[in-house]
Amino acid sequence: MRLRFPACFKAVAVAGAVLGLPAPSAFAQAAKVAPAVSATSWSQPKTPWGDPDLQGTWTSDDCIGTPMNRPANLGEKLYYTEEELAQRQGQLERQHQNDLTETVAPDARVGTGPPAHWGERARRPCRQTSLVVDPPNGRTPDLLPEARLRPVPEGAGNNDPKADSWEDFSYYIRCISRGVTGSILPVIYGNGQQIVQAPGYVTILQEMVHEARVIPMDGRPHPGPNVRSYMGDPRGHWEGNTLVVETTNFLNGKTGIGLNGGGTPTTDALRLVERYTRTGPNEMHYEVTVDDPKTYVKPFKIAFPLTQEPGYQNFEYACHEGNYAMFDSLSGARAKEREAAAKAAGKKN
Amino acid sequence: MFDRMRTGVLLSAAIILCAAAVPGISQNARSTAQIPHMPDGKPNFTGLWEAFGSANWDIRDHSSGPSPFFQLGAWGAMPAGEGIVEGGDIPYTPEAAAKQKENYQNRMKLDPEVKCYMPGIPRANYMQYPFQITQSQKDIAFAYEYATANRVVNMGPFKKAAVDTWMGTSNGHWEGDTLVVDVTGLNGNSWFDRSGNFQSDSTHIVERLNLADADHINYEATVEDKTIYTRPWKLSTVLYRRKEKNAQLNEFKCVEFAEELIYGDLRKK
Repeated sequence: MRLRFPACFKAVAVAGAVLGLPAPSAFAQAAKVAPAVSATSWSQPKTPWGDPDLQGTWTSDDCIGTPMNRPANLGEKLYYTEEELAQRQGQLERQHQNDLTETVAPDARVGTGPPAHWGERARRPCRQTSLVVDPPNGRTPDLLPEARLRPVPEGAGNNDPKADSWEDFSYYIRCISRGVTGSILPVIYGNGQQIVQAPGYVTILQEMVHEARVIPMDGRPHPGPNVRSYMGDPRGHWEGNTLVVETTNFLNGKTGIGLNGGGTPTTDALRLVERYTRTGPNEMHYEVTVDDPKTYVKPFKIAFPLTQEPGYQNFEYACHEGNYAMFDSLSGARAKEREAAAKAAGKKN
Repeated sequence: MFDRMRTGVLLSAAIILCAAAVPGISQNARSTAQIPHMPDGKPNFTGLWEAFGSANWDIRDHSSGPSPFFQLGAWGAMPAGEGIVEGGDIPYTPEAAAKQKENYQNRMKLDPEVKCYMPGIPRANYMQYPFQITQSQKDIAFAYEYATANRVVNMGPFKKAAVDTWMGTSNGHWEGDTLVVDVTGLNGNSWFDRSGNFQSDSTHIVERLNLADADHINYEATVEDKTIYTRPWKLSTVLYRRKEKNAQLNEFKCVEFAEELIYGDLRKK
């Protein structure tokens, strides 16, 4: 069971923008390894029944801290230069050294969150300037006017959230789901994706909020429009060595496309097409095309690498079972109200 | 039409009766040709499975009973059922037997299922929800519809449980055509059923899955825990392949069905 500290996410996200490191032992190993590129001698292994074999536990850690939307001043520049990457590698190494230091500076700001080194860190610098890769400016297309009016539930990072009810919080904070994109986009921890294949199925087990996506590969049709879910209904097929997963039948107005399922909730018109292409023994290219004609003015594409790392594995993420954050947020808000009421009553007297 | 229906009903009845009469479907009737195999010759358990019966209400013999909430009427009532515990009863120590009774009295408050907590092992396998097995040439994934609970059975070298969890750490191996799964690292919060039968963080479970034919798994679990039972005991049931042509694992994210119950008193008045 992992403890969750939503209030600290903002701080960690800022720290994450500087980027970070891995578990110390893995880092020492990874730092010497050149950024992942496909090895020339590598060829896609096949399962005994002839499908491309994508099995293993993959993580999107390397792009932790890379923004979804590219800063406008970078224009259409998707990749950092080698020089910039070397600089960022240096930042990772400094961050790693900081993480090994257990002392807290006397003037350190004390917050309610955990120390930053509790999060996962990238093992090598992310080559991309943004997670959105299409349109060419790397920015999420505009919302439709009706989508702008859609309420966005309270995400992580607000130390003084509206907490009238659990329903004010995001589906992630409630430990229900982060949606399909939110369950694979790189965040502060729990980015593991374990792929298990059988003849006719690909199953992806995702650490955070313990999702399990069972993807039939036999071309069967989606269920009718009245069977809807947070994670949607996936159908897969192979295009060469690429696993293509088309997902529909989403619930209306639940999670958004952003990190941890944040942002404007998508609708029942959402259709995702993901492509998983292994590019080396420990490297995979992931991309997802987001098409929600009731939310965005046009479809867009997000992409980032997944890697396999020595010793990396999924752990049970018993989110709801250990959701003290929800108790604390709600009971804290009620305590504040009682305090305010007592104060007001005192003034009257 | 009528004949086909009647045959179907008779066949179902026969299956249910047989399943009830003998724990597990007779191995004699089995023809290996009927069993799906992996390319390496191992039985292939891949598919959508579900237990019948009312073991999730009580794994011991039980009569039918009313719902704890009269408002639910017959919807929430408990069906009768033959127990899945071999020998009939669970060999609790006297202290543990008292705790089970207490659990039962407070079951609406204490049963992890009420709160949509993960079900643990073996309960996940015989709740009234289907689950999907994805069997690779290496590891075997179990994805349960209830609460999106899941586990991966490690078929490689034995891995010691790194930490106690709700679903435990599953290490599997083959004994002939039987998949044997050793489960340790259980956190002790799980129950076996809605009747307060419970385990502890010392509980060790060994599951055995065997394909009786293409569509039935004989499932058994040996339960061992010196802290609460006087001897190891065993439960066994049958898992049925879901055969409807459009049957698939659906989503039952029950957290939001339990939030009012769990947090209701903290809502702004």
